[in-house]
Amino acid sequence: MTDDLLIIGGGPAGMSAAIEAATHGLVCTIVDESAALGGQIYRPLAVKPNGQTPAATVVRGDELRDQVQQLSQLINIRSESVVWGISKGNKFAVGKEGEGTEILEPKLTLLAPGAYEFVPPFPGWTLPGVMTPGAAQILSKTMNISPGKRVLIAGTGPLLIVIASQLVSNGVEVAGVIEASRQPDWLRLAIRGYRSWGLLREGARCLNTLRKAGVPVHYGRVVTRAEGKDFVQRVYHAPVNADWYPDFSGEQIESVDTLCIGYGLQPRNYLAQLAGCEMQYVDARNSWLPVRDRDLWTSQPGILAAGDGAGVAGAMTAESEGQLAGLVAANKLGKIDESAFDRLRAPIDAKLSRLAPFQKAIADICRIRPGLSSLVDDDTIVCRCEEVTWGEVNAAIDHGGTTFRSLKVMTRLGMGMCQARFCWPAMSRMVASKKNCPVADVGPARPQAPIRPVPLGLIASIPKVPETCE
Amino acid sequence: MNIVVVGGGAIGSVVTYVLSSRGCKVTLIDKDFPGKATSASAGGLWPVGEAIGLGCGVIFHASQKSGSIDISVADSSGPQPLPRIFMDFLVESNRYFPKLTEELEHHSGIHIETETGTGLLYVIYDENERRYTQSLLDWLDSSDTDVEEWSPAQVNEREPLLTRDQLGGIYFPGDNQVNPMLLVDACIRASTKLGAEYVPNTEVTGITMAGDLVTGVDTDRGHFQCDVLVNAAGAWSAKLAQMMGINIPVFPVRGQILCTEALRNQTLNCNLSTSDCYILQKAHGEILIGSTTEINGFDVEVPLENLIGLAAGAKRAIPALEYATVKRSWSGLRPGTPDEFPILGPMDARPNYFNATGGFRTGIVAAPLSAEIVAAHILGEPQPFDSEPFLADRFKNIEVNIPTS
Repeated sequence: MTDDLLIIGGGPAGMSAAIEAATHGLVCTIVDESAALGGQIYRPLAVKPNGQTPAATVVRGDELRDQVQQLSQLINIRSESVVWGISKGNKFAVGKEGEGTEILEPKLTLLAPGAYEFVPPFPGWTLPGVMTPGAAQILSKTMNISPGKRVLIAGTGPLLIVIASQLVSNGVEVAGVIEASRQPDWLRLAIRGYRSWGLLREGARCLNTLRKAGVPVHYGRVVTRAEGKDFVQRVYHAPVNADWYPDFSGEQIESVDTLCIGYGLQPRNYLAQLAGCEMQYVDARNSWLPVRDRDLWTSQPGILAAGDGAGVAGAMTAESEGQLAGLVAANKLGKIDESAFDRLRAPIDAKLSRLAPFQKAIADICRIRPGLSSLVDDDTIVCRCEEVTWGEVNAAIDHGGTTFRSLKVMTRLGMGMCQARFCWPAMSRMVASKKNCPVADVGPARPQAPIRPVPLGLIASIPKVPETCE
Repeated sequence: MNIVVVGGGAIGSVVTYVLSSRGCKVTLIDKDFPGKATSASAGGLWPVGEAIGLGCGVIFHASQKSGSIDISVADSSGPQPLPRIFMDFLVESNRYFPKLTEELEHHSGIHIETETGTGLLYVIYDENERRYTQSLLDWLDSSDTDVEEWSPAQVNEREPLLTRDQLGGIYFPGDNQVNPMLLVDACIRASTKLGAEYVPNTEVTGITMAGDLVTGVDTDRGHFQCDVLVNAAGAWSAKLAQMMGINIPVFPVRGQILCTEALRNQTLNCNLSTSDCYILQKAHGEILIGSTTEINGFDVEVPLENLIGLAAGAKRAIPALEYATVKRSWSGLRPGTPDEFPILGPMDARPNYFNATGGFRTGIVAAPLSAEIVAAHILGEPQPFDSEPFLADRFKNIEVNIPTS
C-alpha cells in the first residue's frame, strides 16, 4: 500500500509528525536507523535505572513512543533502516541490512533526520580519548559505561552542562566545563528567557549539580590543543576574544584522560540536498539549510522538512514542527479542511513563536566565530578518514581549489567513509577564512547516494515493486 | 599565436599540455571548478577490449536490448567491433601513457597511477556470450593482437574472488588503467608550469567572429582573444560549435559509477568486465563499478534502479563484494558520436577552429594520440596517425541521426 506520508527519522519531529498525521487518518511509515524510536535526545535507556527518577527526555520519549504504538494500525515503523538514495524527488530507496532495498513512492515525505555534532579540528583532536559530548552521553546514559576516569567537557552550547551534570550523576569525575561563549550572554538569556522557563529550570538544575560536585565552568575559553602519548593526557585551553581568537599567553593545562568536545550541532542536510531541495547558507546556524515556507514545505513538491535537520532549534521546536508537518500533510491530502487546519495549527504556531526568540538567542550566543578556524597547524589532520593535513589542503587552496569538489580531487579530502560530513562544515569555514569570502561562497559538500556507507549487498538486492493504491 | 582551449576534461587538458610543452601560448577555459570534469570515467585504458566492444560497449548494448546479451555477430544485433583502424588508433594512443606519466610527474609532481600488468578480463557467463566472444576473437585475428582465452580454472586462479559460475574469460594483457582525475589535474598543473593560463569556473557565453574566422571567446568573466580555438567541451561541444554557426553531432551519454571503501590492494588482480558492469580496483584501494550508458540528455541524476543494477552485477561477478561498503556513486556525461569515432581536427567552414571531442567510452585511452593529432593539425606538422576518419567533415552531406532517450 502506498504511504500517505513517509517520515525519515524517528526523533522528536518524526514521532510527532506520525502521531499527528495518523490521528487524521494518514498511513505513515517512519524509517529510522536505530532499533528504537527517539533519536539522539529521546533515546530510550538500555537498562532501567534502579529507583532513580528517569531524565525528562527519557520520560518524554516514552510518552511519544506509547502514542506511536497506539496508532500502530496506521504507523509502520522500519527500524534499523536507512534511506540511502532519492531519485526524481519522490522515489526513496530504503535499505536494511540482511533484507536489502525497497523503493518507496509515498504521496508526501517529511525529512526529519536530526543533527550531529560539530567539531572543528585542532592539534591533537584525533588522539584516542577525544570524543564528542554526544558519544559520551550514549556511553554513559544508555550503556552505563563511563567515558573515562577524568573528563574535560568543552565547546559551546547548552548541551555541555547537561551532559556534564549527567556524567557527574553517574559518578564520573568531571574536571571542568570549557564554554567558548561568555557568561554575561547566558545571564542575559536567563533574564530574557522567562517564557521558556522550563528550559531555564533544567539549565539551573544542571549548573547546581555541577556546583555541588565542585566542577568549575569556565566561560570565554576554548581548547587549543590536546597532547598525550597513545591517548589524550593533557588538554590546553586559553581565553578568547569576541571573535574566539585565543590568547595563547593565558593558556592553562588540564590533566585528563578524556576530552568531550563539540561546538553545537550541524543539521543532517544531505537528504534535502539529494532530493534537490533549494538550500541556503544560514550563518547564524553555521550550516546549509533547506529553504522552507511557513507550512514547512521545501522547494521540492511533496517534501516537508522539520526539526533539527532543517535548522537546529532543539527538541521542543522539533516536536512542534513535526506536529505541524503532520497537520500540513493531512490538509494536503484532504483529511482536514482549511478551517479545521487553521484552527488546529494556531496553538502550534503560537508555541513555535514562543520558543523562537529563546532558540534564536541561544544560537546567537553559540554562533561559531572565525577564531575557531585558527587553531590548526600544517600537521593537523583535517580529514580524519583520509588523514589529509591542513598543510595539504592549504597548498591545494593556493592552487585554485576553492570548492569541495576541487579540494577533494587534489587532496582526497572528504573521500573517505564519512564522505565529508564530518570535515566539510569546518573546512568550508577555513577555506572562506583563508579566501576572505563568505562561507556561502565556498558551497556545501555534494552528497550522493548512498547518503551513508552501506554494504553493497544492501543495494544489490532486487527491489520489490511497490503496490499501487488504486 | 594565442590558442584558447574550451573544456578542462581529459582531452582538453591533454591538448593544453601537449601544446604548452611545444611552447604555444594556451589558455584553458573550463566552466567548472577543478575536479569536476571527466567524472564519467573510471580510467580504464582498454584499447583492444573497448574497440571490440567488451568494455563499456557490451554493457551499452545489453542495456539497449534490456536483458542478457542474446546476440551473435552473424545477425548483427550485438555490439559490433568498431573498424580495425579504431583499434589500431587506441593501441597506438595507449603506447603514449608510460612516457606521458613520467613527463607529468616531472612537471607537476603528480603520479597519475598508470598501471601495467593488470590487464582486462572479460568474464563469460553463458553459452550465448561464449558464441559471441568467439566470433569476436575470429574477427580479431589473435595472431597479431594481445589477447588470450582463459578457461574457468585459469580465470579463478588469477582472480580467486571471481564467481565459479562462469565459462572462462577473454584476457587482454595490454589493457590497463590510470586515474583519470589525476591525469586531468597533472596536465593542468604541468601546463601552467609551462606557461599556460588556466581559467576555471568560467562559462563561455558567445564566440566573436570575423567572417569565417574565430577571433575570441566571450565568457562570464570577460573576453579572451584567440587566433585558434579548440573545442574540447565534451558532452557540451555541440552547443559550443553552434555558437559559431556550425554543427557537430555530439550528444551526452550518461554514465554512473559506484565506489566502495578502500579495500586491501590486489583484492582484484585484473580490470574486470561482464555484460552487467565493469569492476576495477584503483590504486588507493577503492573498487569502482560502472557504468551505465544512457542517452538521456544532460540530466546527471543517478536513478536508483541503475545503482541497484550495477551493485547486483558486481555481486554476481564477485560474490564477496556483497560485504564491501559502498560509500559513493556519481554520474557524468560522455560525449557520444553516431559512429562512436571521436571528432578531431579542422573543419572546412572555420579555418582557425579545431575539434577535440567525441571521446565517448574511449576518451581517456584516446586522449594522448587525439591531442597529438589536434596539435599537429594546429601547428601544420605531419600527422602522427591517419586521422582522416576522425574529421568532422565525414558527417557532411549525410543525414545524421542523433539518438534520443
